[in-house]
Amino acid sequence: MLAACGGPQTSQANNAQSNISNDAQPAPTANASTTSNAMVMLAGPVKGQDAVRIMHERHEGMETIGKTTKALKRELDGSSPDMAKVRAGAAQIADLSRKASGWFPAGTGPDVGKTGAKPEIWQNEQDFATKLRAFQEAANAFNAAAASGDVNAIKAKFGEMGQACKACHDKYRSEMHH
Amino acid sequence: MQQVWDLPVRLVHWLLAALIAFSWWSVHNHHTDWHIWSGCAILTLLIFRLLWGFLGSSTARFATFVRGPKHVLGYLRGRWIGIGHTPLGALSVLALFAVVAVQVGLGLVAQDEDGIYAGPLSRLVSSDTSDAARDIHELWFNVVLALIVMHVAAILFYRLKGKRLTRPMITGRAAIAPGAQPMRPGKWWVAAICLAVSIGIVRWVIAGAPPFGT
Repeated sequence: MLAACGGPQTSQANNAQSNISNDAQPAPTANASTTSNAMVMLAGPVKGQDAVRIMHERHEGMETIGKTTKALKRELDGSSPDMAKVRAGAAQIADLSRKASGWFPAGTGPDVGKTGAKPEIWQNEQDFATKLRAFQEAANAFNAAAASGDVNAIKAKFGEMGQACKACHDKYRSEMHH
Repeated sequence: MQQVWDLPVRLVHWLLAALIAFSWWSVHNHHTDWHIWSGCAILTLLIFRLLWGFLGSSTARFATFVRGPKHVLGYLRGRWIGIGHTPLGALSVLALFAVVAVQVGLGLVAQDEDGIYAGPLSRLVSSDTSDAARDIHELWFNVVLALIVMHVAAILFYRLKGKRLTRPMITGRAAIAPGAQPMRPGKWWVAAICLAVSIGIVRWVIAGAPPFGT
């Protein structure tokens, strides 16, 4: 099911992850991050410019996911959604959801820099990893539905993905994150 | 004790207070869907009250209580006899309804920052405008809050002067000054029609205001 989460795609985040691995410790690679999200979170802590870079990538990534989701909602709430746009948006979110595995190493919390990520993320790593995994699965399911072209399934999976986003944000994102 | 406020006026008042509190609570506890429904309920109250302001009992009607600056000054100099909103209180009423109406309007076109929830009219504007509307909606609540604080402060001020305003807003009854015009009640079926019309308009808004927003 999570096969799509693996693979050799080199995202900026994953590159950053590898850089950090080289600096800090040998273990985590892009592949490891996809077999277990918990392992990603336990990696680190990252320091200095690596932390700054990951936090920046996380912010940009989340912004893009948010913008894309808004655009998708506008399409899907309308009477005749543009399916090409929906497919492209769904693929983009599924792709970014994979990269999100590398966005939350220890050492990228609010004590390090300006971020909406709450310290609770690193106090409940297992729960956070479960919720991140749920989002990745929901994003993949939405992407699969988008590829199928079944509008009702697309809307249902889009709604489920939104709830997966919300489940994590409600608990692990602070309100002062702009 | 004679009637000074009819039932619709009192219901609108207390439901509005409760729904504003609920709107604040729900959005701060991640119940954005309840928050949107609460806003739609507030919109229903505003439209109803607007209609009732033309068709309701005498103390509910704008024509009775909205007066010019001359009357406001006269009231401040102690030259006003009547029931219902004073000429000065009328300004507070209008300001309160106006700021709540602006707040509802902003919420209708806003969207949440994740693209999960959106006001029913958000698709009438661009995504960027919806985001801006959400930011202003959040800030504008401070204006709503400021007027509520002034409203409560005014009630406490009158209480210190010996005039109790809260109980009449609950029971609808108060002792009226000699020479004041008694309340001319509205008709229950007119209230029912006003309510039906306001619900109808809000249902149309919730549907995205077709044909403009489908």
